[in-house]
Amino acid sequence: MTKSTTKVVSIQKHNMWTGSRAVAEAVRLADVDVIAAYPIRPYTGIMNALAGMLAKGQFSAEYVICDSEHSQFEVVKHASAVGARTFVGSSGTGLAYGTEAAIVTALGQVPVVGIVGCRSLDDPGNFGMEWNDTFLFRDSGWMIGWAKDPQEALEMVLVAYRVSEDPRISLPSFVALDGAAITHIASPVKTPTKENVDEFLPPYKPLYPLDPLYDPVAKAIHIAPSLIGPEQRKVVDVAMKRAKKEVIPQAWKLWNEITGSNYPTFIDEQYIDDADYILVSMGAYSKNVEYITEKLRAKNIKVGSIRLRYFRPFPADELRKACENAKAVGVVDFSYSFGSPFYGSVLFNEIKASLYGMKNSPLIMSFIFAGGREMIIEDLEKAANLLIKGVKAGKIEKPVRWLTLRGEDI
Amino acid sequence: MSSELEELSWITIHGRGVLNTGQASLVASILAEAGFASGRESYFYMRYDDAPERVNLPFIYYVVYGNPRVRIVLPEEVEPVGNIFDVVVVLDSSILLQPTSQRALLLDGAKKKMKLVVNTSLSPDSILELIKKYQCAHDWEGSIITIKAKKYDPNISFGMIGATLKAIEDKVSMDNVFDVLEAKENTNEKIQAVTQAYEEAKSVDVKVMAKECEPFKLISEMVEKYKKIPSPALQPWNRETYESLKKRASDAPTYELRLQSMPRWEVLAPGLIEFNPKPREKNIGYKTSFFRSFRPVCNKDLCVDCKLCHIYCPEGAIDFETNEINYDYCKGCGICASVCGSKAITMVSEVEALEDLDEEEKLTIKEALIEYMY
Repeated sequence: MTKSTTKVVSIQKHNMWTGSRAVAEAVRLADVDVIAAYPIRPYTGIMNALAGMLAKGQFSAEYVICDSEHSQFEVVKHASAVGARTFVGSSGTGLAYGTEAAIVTALGQVPVVGIVGCRSLDDPGNFGMEWNDTFLFRDSGWMIGWAKDPQEALEMVLVAYRVSEDPRISLPSFVALDGAAITHIASPVKTPTKENVDEFLPPYKPLYPLDPLYDPVAKAIHIAPSLIGPEQRKVVDVAMKRAKKEVIPQAWKLWNEITGSNYPTFIDEQYIDDADYILVSMGAYSKNVEYITEKLRAKNIKVGSIRLRYFRPFPADELRKACENAKAVGVVDFSYSFGSPFYGSVLFNEIKASLYGMKNSPLIMSFIFAGGREMIIEDLEKAANLLIKGVKAGKIEKPVRWLTLRGEDI
Repeated sequence: MSSELEELSWITIHGRGVLNTGQASLVASILAEAGFASGRESYFYMRYDDAPERVNLPFIYYVVYGNPRVRIVLPEEVEPVGNIFDVVVVLDSSILLQPTSQRALLLDGAKKKMKLVVNTSLSPDSILELIKKYQCAHDWEGSIITIKAKKYDPNISFGMIGATLKAIEDKVSMDNVFDVLEAKENTNEKIQAVTQAYEEAKSVDVKVMAKECEPFKLISEMVEKYKKIPSPALQPWNRETYESLKKRASDAPTYELRLQSMPRWEVLAPGLIEFNPKPREKNIGYKTSFFRSFRPVCNKDLCVDCKLCHIYCPEGAIDFETNEINYDYCKGCGICASVCGSKAITMVSEVEALEDLDEEEKLTIKEALIEYMY
């Protein structure tokens, strides 16, 4: 690894890496102590890369091969409670199997960092990209960041460690990577230097480790509802509010200072100052959304785009500010929520709730790309045109559209 | 007290452990069905946070007769407030000797004219004496009904139903119970048990003024004193804060004050941290003496100091050096008595232990008061 002399040019090395490989590099740089492994596409790629690094002696960690996703999450929960920095990951129905352990990880405020390689909740054999596996955790107390490409995935994992382990919040983080689109597609990745990472990421010191050498404590004690039920929930609630207000913005500011990169904190905006139409998305396909935005701008159509970098805590205030002058907002969403309000998708309903009660609240549409089928540029053009048509007509008859569907969309 | 609550009639059934749970459930279901047969809206339920699968842990069943338009009242809303229960049924008389927080659930919620039905071989007068010594916290002009239910039915349920009927004659008649029993098996035996128990149960009217009773004076003094202790200030979480809060909650003389003394969210450590007692210290926040219906008593003359009781005690309640049994944490499981080679340890019923008070030896009244109530 090259050693840099100045901070600004510290990101030097270029590698053609998949998202999986890039995340493995982040785990190495963060000097993780315990890694829980159980194969599932796309987490297998990260497992392989880490196992290779350990075999070559590039860093040392406890690499626990578990018997299931449930054990995976149990292993990291307990390792983290005794004071180890941990890494875990899964996707799809495997992640759903680990839910019992993962939920308690958040309520017990154990700062585990995990990867979700977004994958459809398995109709047998469906490994397409869908967000519903991550959305299973939207109410649980895990912070959820959404990376755009392998480069951001690497840096988001490093920032996630600093944010999670901050004693002001002490909450676990998921970094969501769109399956295939990030995890299996290689693109140039610049790695930060070990010195920069060490400067950014202090060693993990839990407030009260489960270690009798410090002080005999118990963790995740029995809770009688009449005694401290609501109080315990409030502690997690306040931690999430602190993460949104202080910890995440400070962490990204510091990361930008140290590495010279230029990441926005919660939302990434394109052309929104005078935009009439705004497309909102997350993850890898927001690159397609940016592309279509530029294409339509070339035709003098006032389109803008927003990419959410965090789903939990949800950047509602930033979103409201960005959509102040918009006439219509379209949500590009790779999820479904059967029987939800207006039969829209998960992200659509979150955004609709965020924009409720604005002075000139924009029309809002849900574009559903469910079932893991690849979205193509034509679909996005169709989506933008539907928004434009709706604004011209003054109302939207049918706010929820399945754009990759064969057959009538009723 | 809302008027809605007053329209309901409540029966509470207290017992301990697995065996009593089945019996209480049978009593409650038949009384509730009889309520239906009498034309009332009735329901019964077990207190939601009870865990009676643990040996000897006390539990409560509720039977409610009332107006169908009245909302269901959750037990947690009921517990701390008084003037609710019409009839209190006790399947295990050692329950009458609970420590404060449990006792609040037993008699503090009762109406002034409450009727108490106890499964015991003691006479109503002895029960009254027990209550005066250990229980009474408010005025009471009701009656005590005692019965040895095992005499009528090996599974005490039908004996208890017969005795309880004496207390709820104005709401449910014997015929209503017969209607219910006729739909079940072995009807004649059950009807006979119920009728006989109804006739033979001893009833005594009582009039107790709380202010004349020692426990009431003690409780009111303690409440006064407790309220003068300032609440700890909101401060960063650490072992000292935690222990002071825990001590304050466990010292609370009433259930209501105990709930008020539990920590606010601002002082909870992230991630459900509990500071455990350091080695050789005891947990001040959670004593388990109310699990016990029998207590181990050691005869030091027979003891050969083999330490088997210390090794086998699952609660760590027996001291290694002195072999003293810590009755704050002993759950009365009896393992020490069964492993004791020299038969120095015997299990004594809690009620018997108290009845023997006059013959001194074991406990003075003062000690018993401190142990069982406060």
